[in-house]
Amino acid sequence: MSLKVCHLSELTPGEGLRIESVSPPIAVFLTEEGTVHAIDDTCTHQDASLAAGWVEDCKVECPLHESSFCLLTGEVDQPPAKQKVRVHTVEVRGDDVLVELSQEAPNLPPGVSVS
Amino acid sequence: MNAPIHSSESTVLIVGAGLAGYHVARQARQHGHTGPISIIGDENRPAYDRPALSKAFLNGTVNFEDLHLDDPSNPLEVTWHSGSGAVELSTEPLGVRTADGTFHAGDNVVIVTGAEAQRLPSFGRSGGAFVLRNVEDGLALRERMIEGQRIAVVGGGFLGLEAVSTFLDRGAAEITVIADEQFPGEARLGAAVGQAIRHLHEQRGVKFGPPVYAHSVTDTEDGSQVLNLTNGDAVQADVIVCAIGATPATRWLRDGELTLGPSGAILCDDFGFTGIPGVWAAGDCAQWTSQAAGIRPIGQWQEAVEQARIVAAAIMGAPPVPFQEPYFWSEQYDVMIQGAGRIAQSNEVHILDGSIEGGDLLVSYRLDGEEIGILGMNRMREIKRWRKMRTARVLASA
Ligand SMILES: Cc1cc2nc3c(=O)[nH]c(=O)nc-3n(C[C@H](O)[C@H](O)[C@H](O)COP(=O)(O)OP(=O)(O)OC[C@H]3O[C@@H](n4cnc5c(N)ncnc54)[C@H](O)[C@@H]3O)c2cc1C
Ligand code: FES
Repeated sequence: MSLKVCHLSELTPGEGLRIESVSPPIAVFLTEEGTVHAIDDTCTHQDASLAAGWVEDCKVECPLHESSFCLLTGEVDQPPAKQKVRVHTVEVRGDDVLVELSQEAPNLPPGVSVS
Repeated sequence: MNAPIHSSESTVLIVGAGLAGYHVARQARQHGHTGPISIIGDENRPAYDRPALSKAFLNGTVNFEDLHLDDPSNPLEVTWHSGSGAVELSTEPLGVRTADGTFHAGDNVVIVTGAEAQRLPSFGRSGGAFVLRNVEDGLALRERMIEGQRIAVVGGGFLGLEAVSTFLDRGAAEITVIADEQFPGEARLGAAVGQAIRHLHEQRGVKFGPPVYAHSVTDTEDGSQVLNLTNGDAVQADVIVCAIGATPATRWLRDGELTLGPSGAILCDDFGFTGIPGVWAAGDCAQWTSQAAGIRPIGQWQEAVEQARIVAAAIMGAPPVPFQEPYFWSEQYDVMIQGAGRIAQSNEVHILDGSIEGGDLLVSYRLDGEEIGILGMNRMREIKRWRKMRTARVLASA
């Protein structure tokens, strides 16, 4: 089932938007190239919002430390994070951004749980 | 730089199983090093990352397993020798001897022994103040009852103030910070930031003593402790935490051939080369040329990781890795403080946004009008952007 999470017009190219209406929160990114992606918002190393990270080459670098996550696969490139984030399926319909949440268990950092 | 042994089959001996040690090994493998890599650590534990020890580890949010540096699902190909520290460096043959008498040889020896917490002299039977450097220190404080207790924290640096935040979570009755500055971090980060940090804590009931030094800890008959101050005053507390800095863990090198600076740090060039062929140093035990010149900071996580990368590249004969802008962070309550750039060299501080009371400052550091640093409180997006843009600029002009 797809959820409408935001409008395309709310997104800024090269930036992420944290969506708190789902739990755990997700981050929706509009890349400079115009593609839209959704991943879990919480870094797997610590409680930092990836939506505030740096987007480049279809990856987002965590705003706190050095790990980057691939927006297509969720894979992490280097420490300190060790685990990938979940990737959610995105569909853009007109100005609506629809997301189908991954059915995998999220890799939340220690001390963070799903509310 | 003296010509090191570049062969990818050579033996790399890493002395110190901490952040820098782990990253030297990891980077060497990334550069295609196939020879043996050994990491000697004096702690009888898997290598771990320290920052959480003054934060989430102290209030029990994270556990020791969460701090491990190596990834159990993708472990580094290295031999760990834990539990016996290096006691002597030998240059001919090159290697170190550990306390258990073993000699470990290496074609390249990288010294990454970190630092030791500075302590206040203590008189009495209580064992003095708690410190925060290794996991045993963290465990001792984590297991100490805090609820309803009077806590005194010596030192207004980030380490002490982070611990303060966790003590409040744990129900401390009273917390007093004794620091040599009226506003913590004022001299280094500017008055506005010092005031904002003090406000964060005062708002929550933390008390700050007058700007003085503490000189010793003594016991009282009722089992509490007394912190003695240089102005003649004394602070009574049930728990005293001393966070007054750290000194390089280089005592074992004092009578050797390496050149140590006044703080005991191993003096190196900006590749981590010590001047003795095949001997390198990085992280908190070292002082590189640019750190000695005050251009780069000492004792920060990012610095240790970058130095490890630079040393590994130099040993492997790979193209030099450029420095990024210096960077640090600190977590206090729900506020993330992040600073980047050459803050220490600035001569003007401007508030760009936010307020001292709001705990949301964004501050620019300038040198003769040019922005050279930035600090934010809960400004993660702005700080990351600044760092990435600056890195791009530094690389473009390199
Ligand atoms: C409690 C705490 C919180 C911190 N929080 C932050 C933060 O929020 N942000 C930030 O930027 N930085 C922070 N830091 C700083 C950062 O963790 C250090 O800069 C970093 O750990 C330095 O790495 P290192 O490898 O040089 O030293 P370490 O990580 O200390 O590793 C050195 C290792 O060598 C071992 N060793 C010592 N002597 C010997 C010997 N003779 N033989 C063998 N082994 C030896 C030590 O036991 C240790 O395991 C914090 C530090 C501490 C202690
Ligand atoms: S919080 Fe994301 S890498 Fe540390």
